[in-house]
Amino acid sequence: MAVKGSKYRQLFTGLAFIGPNIAGVFTFVIFPVLFAILLAFSNWDLTKHNIFKDEPLYFVGLDNFTRLFNEGDFVRFLLNTLFLMMGIPFCVAGSLFCAMMLNKDNRGGGGKIYLYLTASALLFVGCIMLTLVGMGASAMTLLLAGVGGTVLISGLGFGQTIFRTLFYMPHFTTGVATYLLWKKLYDPYDGPINNVLNPVLGYVEAGVKVAPSPIVYMMHLALVVVVPVMFAFVLKRVYRWWQDGDLGSQGAFVTILITCIPIAVLVMKFSGFVHWTGKLEAVAIGGASVVMLLLFAIKWWNGKPFQIVEGMYGFGSALAFSLLMLVLMFIAIGLSMVVGNLPEMAQSGLEAPHWLTDYHWAKPSLMIMGFWAAIGSNNMLLYLAALTNVPKGLYEAAEIDGAGRFQTFWNVTWPQLAPTTFFIAVMSTIGGLQGGFEAARTMTEGGPSGATTTLSYYIYMEGFQTGRLSFSAALAWALFILVFTITLFNWKFGNRYVND
Amino acid sequence: MSTIESTKELMRKPAKRSRKIFIQKFLNTGILNVFLTILSMLLILPFIWMLLTSVKPLSEVGTDSWIPSTWQWHNYLDVFDAIPYARYYCNSLLIATWITFLQVTTSALAAFSFSRLEWPGRDKVFMLYLSTMMLPGLVMMIPNYQIMIQLGLVDSIAGLILPGAFSAFGTFLLRQFMLSIPSSLDEAAEIDGASKWRLFWDIILPLSRPGVIALAIFTFVGNYHSFFWPLVMLKSQHKYTLPIGLLYFDSSAGQETNLLMAAVVMSVIPLVFVYVILQKQLVAGIQLGAVKG
Repeated sequence: MAVKGSKYRQLFTGLAFIGPNIAGVFTFVIFPVLFAILLAFSNWDLTKHNIFKDEPLYFVGLDNFTRLFNEGDFVRFLLNTLFLMMGIPFCVAGSLFCAMMLNKDNRGGGGKIYLYLTASALLFVGCIMLTLVGMGASAMTLLLAGVGGTVLISGLGFGQTIFRTLFYMPHFTTGVATYLLWKKLYDPYDGPINNVLNPVLGYVEAGVKVAPSPIVYMMHLALVVVVPVMFAFVLKRVYRWWQDGDLGSQGAFVTILITCIPIAVLVMKFSGFVHWTGKLEAVAIGGASVVMLLLFAIKWWNGKPFQIVEGMYGFGSALAFSLLMLVLMFIAIGLSMVVGNLPEMAQSGLEAPHWLTDYHWAKPSLMIMGFWAAIGSNNMLLYLAALTNVPKGLYEAAEIDGAGRFQTFWNVTWPQLAPTTFFIAVMSTIGGLQGGFEAARTMTEGGPSGATTTLSYYIYMEGFQTGRLSFSAALAWALFILVFTITLFNWKFGNRYVND
Repeated sequence: MSTIESTKELMRKPAKRSRKIFIQKFLNTGILNVFLTILSMLLILPFIWMLLTSVKPLSEVGTDSWIPSTWQWHNYLDVFDAIPYARYYCNSLLIATWITFLQVTTSALAAFSFSRLEWPGRDKVFMLYLSTMMLPGLVMMIPNYQIMIQLGLVDSIAGLILPGAFSAFGTFLLRQFMLSIPSSLDEAAEIDGASKWRLFWDIILPLSRPGVIALAIFTFVGNYHSFFWPLVMLKSQHKYTLPIGLLYFDSSAGQETNLLMAAVVMSVIPLVFVYVILQKQLVAGIQLGAVKG
């Protein structure tokens, strides 16, 4: 490009355009950040420095940061935040699932099938409505059935746009308004959730009381047995990847180790170790080592002993798989315990939880609400876009190779979506660490007794309620360091994961 | 279907095969539709409850039936008597509109400078911008509040608008968009003797319209929801924005669930409209924001 005017002129034009923005960014971002650094190392506290009292301001070095760890609240609220973040994988999985559902053609490719579909949907909805009216159903049932029928028919009529819009609504409207809505939904006495749950629980209670205890016990056992079955499934998968060279030995060991944890818990529970904390790791590591040795033995038996892919190859996907299985196994264990305790619980009467006002249920309540808001969120739209970009040829190739549904997903879709998943994972981790303020402020005020206080709410409380400004700034910086470290780790680790 | 299977299929009678495929496809699609319907029903149930509760008489709130015995539409009017709702509404719209206008303007200008102009130190300044995006907003809150005290803008509408008017993210988004416009246009304009301003105003800005619209939607919706900063800044009731007003309503008259729900419905409705009208641009914008990685 021809040089026009001097360098100064270029600088002048460049700065003239950027001027308004840079002035604002300096005043409201860069200056505050520098200010916040100074603040974090000083002793500014509104209870010590106000119109009545004026202690000198001075730098206190790292005092605020040491206090942060000594006071214990920081760690507690950090754990709260991390606990709430455990919902994120479910939200992402839910978004992916929704995206895959929406990605399918819900009109059967148009033409004759579409005609038949519409006709039978109309017939179906009509019949159901007539039956309901005939049975003298309540107005509420009629209304819900009517809305459902309308959704179904308009979904057929306008394609997936309708469903996408409905899925996206909760996310788009999330804010104080929907938090207040959920606060009312969760109301332990007047809320619709408990209005529905309490009668259902009443039936369960009656059923458990009537059912002979062997049946309940069998159900309990059946759920327990599910866990080893899942473990066997994991072993089969891991072994296959390992043998096919899709997974290195270390990767195989780590994934087995992770899924050994629930097995270890089960073993300890049934072998009568009551005080099992402390011994859990030993059992898990020991178990995983034994399993690994066994796998080596089988491999050797099969005649290809040392074809081992070393290193972390395939580690990311295997890790995601084993974490998912871990969660599922723990859910099974939890359910089995609940079922096992049901007879006792039924004796004292089953009652719906008090959700937000119950210490143990407050966090799960927020997670359920988060799931509702996040399942059809931007993540779903991103996945939807990524899904349409997966080359069709890959699916055809998989079909020709005779891959099943799960295999197609695992070997074609999932790797193709890896960059999107990575982006979503990074963004949700950052958001999750900084999140929880609005819900805490509008729904629970951080309670009951701090159960829903996240780091961001804690920072707000210290900065704007207690008035310990310096301490609050130190907290904010600690949060930043945390976010930064995790993001860095994600980049280092995840980039490899995306490329393989 | 594998090749072997499809060969087998081909050997059968064609009519029978096609009927089988037809039925299978019909069933699959039917089940898919029913499933999608059930899922979306689960997701919108809270909204249905909200709508129905907002027209209930207070005495019927919390009963098992969701349908009101009498449809009390005047609940919606009562909200305006209970709190200065119209005021909150106007405040929210005013603030969100101003922030959107200012932020899009400043971001577009800066993005033009970062993407189309050459000047010494440009990339260093841009890196500085990028690094500020990593910082959590919480870090800046206390210093910003102190700045507002110094400027005398605490508890004022201007104090809400000003910090929102400048955004590193918006600049970044638009810069990425402008980079995708071919640079031969610049050269052509230069040959025609256009000034940099002309280049920006007549060529680059019109071409980056999708990016600008996406940024405008994000900014507007984000500030319509905005909670933290107004919560900290606003003291006097008549300056409340919608979220703060709703919170205040909940804490002062939260027992009147029907009125509260009416207020919630009214605050959600503009968003529904925005979404339905602008969903194409919105979806495009979300992808635009994610491409940066």
